[in-house]
Amino acid sequence: MDSDIILVIVVATALAFDFTNGFHDTANAVATSISTRALAPKTAVTLSAILNFVGAFISIKVAATVASGIVNADLITTTVIFAGLIGAIVWNLVTWYFGLPSSSSHALIGGVVGAAFAASGADAILGQGLLEKVMIPALVAPVVAFLAAGAGILITYRMVGRLRPGPVNRGYRFGQIASASLLSLSHGTNDAQKTMGIITLALVTHGTLEGPDPEPPFWVIVSAATAIALGTYSGGWRIIRTMGSRIYKMDPAQGFAAQGGGAAVLLTASHLGFPLSTTHSITGAVLGAGAAKRLSAVRWGLAGNIAVAWVLTIPAAAFVGALTYGVSRIFGQGALGPMLIAVSLLMLIAAMFGKRVRSGPAITAAADA
Amino acid sequence: MTAATDTGALLELVWAAPLAALIVTISWGLVVWGSTRAADSRREGRTGQATLHVAVAALGAALFAAAVVYGLLIMTAKD
Repeated sequence: MDSDIILVIVVATALAFDFTNGFHDTANAVATSISTRALAPKTAVTLSAILNFVGAFISIKVAATVASGIVNADLITTTVIFAGLIGAIVWNLVTWYFGLPSSSSHALIGGVVGAAFAASGADAILGQGLLEKVMIPALVAPVVAFLAAGAGILITYRMVGRLRPGPVNRGYRFGQIASASLLSLSHGTNDAQKTMGIITLALVTHGTLEGPDPEPPFWVIVSAATAIALGTYSGGWRIIRTMGSRIYKMDPAQGFAAQGGGAAVLLTASHLGFPLSTTHSITGAVLGAGAAKRLSAVRWGLAGNIAVAWVLTIPAAAFVGALTYGVSRIFGQGALGPMLIAVSLLMLIAAMFGKRVRSGPAITAAADA
Repeated sequence: MTAATDTGALLELVWAAPLAALIVTISWGLVVWGSTRAADSRREGRTGQATLHVAVAALGAALFAAAVVYGLLIMTAKD
């Protein structure tokens, strides 16, 4: 009975994580389009939400677990998964509150690492895997995207710099709709899979699913797709504002170089079997497109804050994951601990969103114009 | 974030990813350049030049469309 309740809580928490993943990462796909007025804010998040939903169905090759090769799989229990998810959700909410783009994948990995550490000690963590799958890609993604978008915008200005700005801006705004759509679709194929993987893993651990390579049930695919789409539609406006206009005021050509270049870097990396963080790549590309035009136009202090958030993501999510696991175990091995923590978190989220709703929309079409 | 780091793939990424980004930005740049110049040429009554510029824009559009289709193929072929 207890294991059934824990399973239900883990599934609900995984979908809650999926929702935060959606609204946290909306900025990656739509911030530059909104900033350059290629798309109205509501249109941008609606388009992105639909494509995230569709993307979730394109590839159902579910990653068995996002922390595979980083945490000893034999030591993962449903409570560890639950605690890891809480770590990731809390970090996503904290960075959203401060308007800082950070990787939801890294938050999830950090949360699971922390919970596994609290459950089984240092033996649960595979250091080599952490270095190879997280640390190195985290350094490579922003640098490659920065250089690619920087070179892209310099060539773009050479090509169209002397033409009439009106049609040029219109042309790049149109291009941004295509690049935003591609990024949204790509996000759906990548990130909804994480949740499908987590729920599938929980179902296997519980004994509901069997076999060496179980396929996720249809309800898992639909619910993961719906949660990420709803999250995307909600729009993480604070992060959208940071990415779109607080780092620097971008023109449509810069928006296209950042978004199109970032998407090309991400998909090439995926093709080479070297998946990179969408957030790190797009943020690097945004910085590159700004710095190449004029170094002083970029608010480097804000860029520094984003870098600090990236460095803190894994340790902070790990700390919350470990703490959640510890608190949960105070109430024994049953469902009471996870239940109390889930209810507390739900109340915290409701309070945060209530405050957000009361203070009105962060970005409106009128304000943006 | 599921595949282990491979030095060969990493090195390939360092040149291939920026190259892909440049192909995308240059191809769309050709679309914008070609269509803007074509409109200007038409307005000035130079139909021959306008046709040439339209051809450049069409070439850029074809390259960009190919890049988008390739991106979609990468997404669907993911394992």
